[in-house]
Amino acid sequence: MTPLVDPLLSGPIGLQEILVVVFKVVVAFAFLMVAVMFMVWFERKLIGDMQNRIGPNRAGPWGILQTLADGVKLFFKEDLLPDNADRFVFKLAPYLALIPAFLIFTVVPVGGNYSTGDGTVSLFGEETLLQVADPPVGVLFVLAMSSVAVYGVMLAGWSSGSKYPLLGSVRATAQMISYEAALSLSVLSVILLSGTLSTSGIVAEQSQWNWNLWLTGFIPFAIFLISGTAELNRPPFDLVEAEQELVGGFHTEYSAVRFALFFLAEFMNTVTMSAIIVTLFLGGPNGPMFGPEWLQSWVLPSLWFFLKLFVFLFVFVWFRATLPRFRYDQLMDMGWKLLIPAALGWFLILAGIQVASDNDDINLALVVIVGVAIFFAGMGLLMLAMRSSRRQRQLSGVTD
Amino acid sequence: MGQYLPIFALLVLASLFAAVSFAASRLLNPPHPTPAKTVPYECGIIDAKEPPERFPVKFFLVAMIFIVFDIEIIFLYPFAVVYRSLGLFGLVALAIFAALVFESFVYLISNGALDWGPAKHLRRRSPMVDSLRTADTTVKRVGTDGREAAA
Repeated sequence: MTPLVDPLLSGPIGLQEILVVVFKVVVAFAFLMVAVMFMVWFERKLIGDMQNRIGPNRAGPWGILQTLADGVKLFFKEDLLPDNADRFVFKLAPYLALIPAFLIFTVVPVGGNYSTGDGTVSLFGEETLLQVADPPVGVLFVLAMSSVAVYGVMLAGWSSGSKYPLLGSVRATAQMISYEAALSLSVLSVILLSGTLSTSGIVAEQSQWNWNLWLTGFIPFAIFLISGTAELNRPPFDLVEAEQELVGGFHTEYSAVRFALFFLAEFMNTVTMSAIIVTLFLGGPNGPMFGPEWLQSWVLPSLWFFLKLFVFLFVFVWFRATLPRFRYDQLMDMGWKLLIPAALGWFLILAGIQVASDNDDINLALVVIVGVAIFFAGMGLLMLAMRSSRRQRQLSGVTD
Repeated sequence: MGQYLPIFALLVLASLFAAVSFAASRLLNPPHPTPAKTVPYECGIIDAKEPPERFPVKFFLVAMIFIVFDIEIIFLYPFAVVYRSLGLFGLVALAIFAALVFESFVYLISNGALDWGPAKHLRRRSPMVDSLRTADTTVKRVGTDGREAAA
């Protein structure tokens, strides 16, 4: 019932298919630009409300054109190249930050009826999925692109030839790779239940309220949300650009359009990360279906998707307004000593349960008991190790 | 490879967008660099020191430990997709593998490889820390450290 790949591109590719692809790409591009504009305005306005002030209210109705005005201003600013900078890498880094931000969004299904249909819609007489591309390794593609984004941050800081960007980028790299491990381990539970790496396949598996949010037992979702926030370098994990210590972090030396592109990439990543959370855990465009055919295939799925997306955009802004910034050792401790072992242990328990419920010879209750026992044994071992390292530090005279 | 065609299309469009932005910025405001503008940022002060060429070894350790976990994740992904056809054998093999990685992880933690506390410094009660100004220094410390006697 479910197509594993986009039916548009599985046959021979002619002019008609190329036109549909171009249409989808242009729509996705325009959507991302408008979404970033909206997101920047939404964040400033909402934080304004949460801090009991008005926020932007001059450009356009409710200040909604503020981002556009800021963007236009940045085009008229002088683009400086610092003396100490590595010229080639300095110019390359904004591309490396921006392009992955665009590409991640291609694998997100933004609509299509997966509940009562197979998710395809008819576009210019062609059957196709409502996502820009559907590679069979969609989830791996997302992880790969978020790894490439680390290079943008790292090279930007390194090539600036200045101390604050360098410190910011070293911190950012360690933080992003640490939380990337937790991120990929929490996605594993979703892959285990869906049995496919394609994003449309994952969404199709979650039809009829079989959302991964509760099927995987909330823990992977919580880990993904936390490590996703860290991966985005958003507060409370924004040590990368801790402005009290590091001026502007990795983009201190960037001005004008180059800075604008980093800014664009950052907010675009927030939008795409929310979209990925919705796709992996909240069923993507799945939701209650009613009404005539056109409503079911075009309007309702996209409506559910954007509603869920909006919830996470709100949550990310809420985090920023509410939580104080982590200290660096707290950040690393949480990533390595809590999230990674928890995600790994949870995945193994889920795998045990799945294998046991497939095989009739294995007693499910026994597997659960053994799994939980091993989980707690591992946790005890980890706590013992942490205590031993703390005692060593105290013996060697390190205070605090 | 047909499924990747739209990704390449968006890649081209995004690169074009970035390139056109740079070109537009260059046309709208051609750079006029002066020595004062192009020095590294330091709040207007002339920078006395070069940027550091070394940073704490902890960062390299994190990178190396990350590789171990990344390799584990690489093995876990195929298992998560095909575990049904592997059955109990696959689960046991995976559990042994995960246990080995976890064991080395526990060893690393107990050795303090992932500790990020403050750098080693002994807290001594120095004459500087006094509510009264001493002959050593005229700096008056803020806080309650060492002031219990004076209060």
